Amino acid sequence: MILIGERINGMFKDIREAIQNKDPEPVRYWAKRQYEMCASYLDVNTGPTVEAADQPAVMEWLVKTAQEAAPLPCCIDSTNPDAIEAGLKVHKGKAMINSTTADQFKMDIYIPMAAKYNAAIIGLAMNEKGVPKSASDRIALAMEIVVNCDMHGVPMEDLYIDPLMLPCNVAQEHGVEVLETLRQIKTLADPAPRTTMGLSNSSQRCTNRHLINRTFLIMSMACGLDSAIADVDDEELLDAVAAANILLNKDIYCDSFLKTFRSK
Amino acid sequence: MGLTGLEIFKQLPKTNCKDCGQPTCLAFAMQLASGKASLDQCPHVSDAAKEALDSASAPPVALVKVGKGAKEVALGNETVLFRHDKRFEHPTGIAISVSDTDSDIPAKVAEINKLVFDRVGQIHSVNLVAVANASGDAAKFAEAAKAVQDNTEFPLVLISEDPAAMEKALEVAGDNNPLICGANASNLEAMVELAKKYDAPVVIKGADLNELADLVQKAGYKKLFLDSGAREVNKVLADQTQIRRQALKKFRPFGYPTITFADNPDPIQAVVDAGVYIAKYAGIVVLNTADPADVLPLITLRLNIYTDPQKPIAVESKLYEVGNPGPNAPVFVTTNFSLTYFCVQGDIEAGRIDAYILPVDTDGISVLTGWAAGKFTPEKITEMVNETGIADKVSHKKLIIPGGVAVLSGKLQELSGWEVLVGPRESAGIPSFIKQRWNA
Repeated sequence: MILIGERINGMFKDIREAIQNKDPEPVRYWAKRQYEMCASYLDVNTGPTVEAADQPAVMEWLVKTAQEAAPLPCCIDSTNPDAIEAGLKVHKGKAMINSTTADQFKMDIYIPMAAKYNAAIIGLAMNEKGVPKSASDRIALAMEIVVNCDMHGVPMEDLYIDPLMLPCNVAQEHGVEVLETLRQIKTLADPAPRTTMGLSNSSQRCTNRHLINRTFLIMSMACGLDSAIADVDDEELLDAVAAANILLNKDIYCDSFLKTFRSK
Repeated sequence: MGLTGLEIFKQLPKTNCKDCGQPTCLAFAMQLASGKASLDQCPHVSDAAKEALDSASAPPVALVKVGKGAKEVALGNETVLFRHDKRFEHPTGIAISVSDTDSDIPAKVAEINKLVFDRVGQIHSVNLVAVANASGDAAKFAEAAKAVQDNTEFPLVLISEDPAAMEKALEVAGDNNPLICGANASNLEAMVELAKKYDAPVVIKGADLNELADLVQKAGYKKLFLDSGAREVNKVLADQTQIRRQALKKFRPFGYPTITFADNPDPIQAVVDAGVYIAKYAGIVVLNTADPADVLPLITLRLNIYTDPQKPIAVESKLYEVGNPGPNAPVFVTTNFSLTYFCVQGDIEAGRIDAYILPVDTDGISVLTGWAAGKFTPEKITEMVNETGIADKVSHKKLIIPGGVAVLSGKLQELSGWEVLVGPRESAGIPSFIKQRWNA
């Protein structure tokens, strides 16, 4: 399971203020903290309060600051292609682009960008019409992304399809469709594209968020989820992932599997 | 294995004409991948595309047969790089070569026929006799092929790169589906013609992997064995690995079994080389030696490598002796799961105890599993005690059972009429148990 730490995001107050004050400390803190908590990527997002024109510079600063503090690649998270490219330019190692939808005009921007910078890319199984309800509609959009990546020579191992989980209090019927989508994505190509999801979405404005997040993560792993953007500062989540890795025969069992998982 | 949507889409005409009833070619590809549509619904798909899609659904390594009848050898149909992922399907065929310059071919073949060994209660043998055209003479080659064929039931591998010599030999041996070895860049057409004429499998040899792939595509024939041309063991290992790896990724030209040659003049080196080839995907390995001492370890290795890792390995259920047991020796009861049996046997041997072991047939499962599954019962133990005639070998009437199934002792004692001693739970405790408790 590739865990993408969600915390360096301008939606959070401390990061928002850090961006406003050009104070690198909170970014550094969360880069290090998430690195220690088993993150493989750091999601970096300027948040919506930064003006569009300033987003490239802020993204550049976030990527540099985060990578100076922790030896991890970034998952460059923005709806602004200039901000993403600014982040890619200063990024060290193999970045991840978060994200493109299945709209052709977006794929035409982001997929060549992934090819140019040899970055991985997250493809959302949705388009301008919104998030489809059924698994088969999600799969059809995922296939569009697969074909476009293949055309631009982005290898399937670098494509992370996100079937888009919605909050379970208001869109409860989507959960089973997402799980079915995860199963079917593996049949789209050989080698199969990878899968990811914005895990915390599943529990927006719900009670017992951590419980909902980790339960859905484990169910999704059983359906073939390879990666998740998640709160890695959640020990119980990490324990559950470690246990799921054992039960899915991804890690070899040992009595100290919780510890071994964290020392990787 | 089903095709993926992407593989299908790449072969479609991409006209988005909707003649198939789907809004786009991509949507049609998805329907095909999920089995909800069939390819003939598209009027515009080319024959080349049809063939590509057909062959993509074929198994990654074709099944190719050599010989006819009871001794026929089938190779290929492999699906994994590592046996623990699933299992290796068709054990490497072992061929022993005879030269057409040998003075007494029938005598040499008689030696090969004797390379039959009993391993864990089963009979295992070499599979093929290779005839090499060392003389360069066509008539001599045909004569040798005849001499070999008349003296063995094993299928033949005919080794000559001269089409004229091969033609002569096939006139003699062609009806028995021999392996033609083989075609290369200079004789490809003639050799493949001969193979087609006799409907026999043929080896394609390339100077390297690139040439091999080219030649396979040029051959236009499907009963093939592959030879990358490499002869040094490190190079063969690399090529064998590439061929299997690419075949599993559905690179069609490498989707055939391979042939390798372990012909190092030093017999020990040849055996070690052949061991590498057996472990690393060789369809056939050709040896020059017919010495049973060279062949037995390879037969054993092949047996081990090609066992199914998902099935428990069982030892034969019969009376075993450890050391030189006399009439006073203790009798241990266990199950025929090989891990269990060898634990017990090893601990008895390490304790320098002369003893008898009775591994009851539990379909190869352990003592506690066998007990829970009703396969390790007082009835079955009694039956085995009676059938093996252990009573005639010892002067006492005492059985030692594993401590884990102590509850069986009463019933077993009643049924068998033997006194039942409950041993330690772990076989490591056997030596001290014997010291303290055994006085027959």
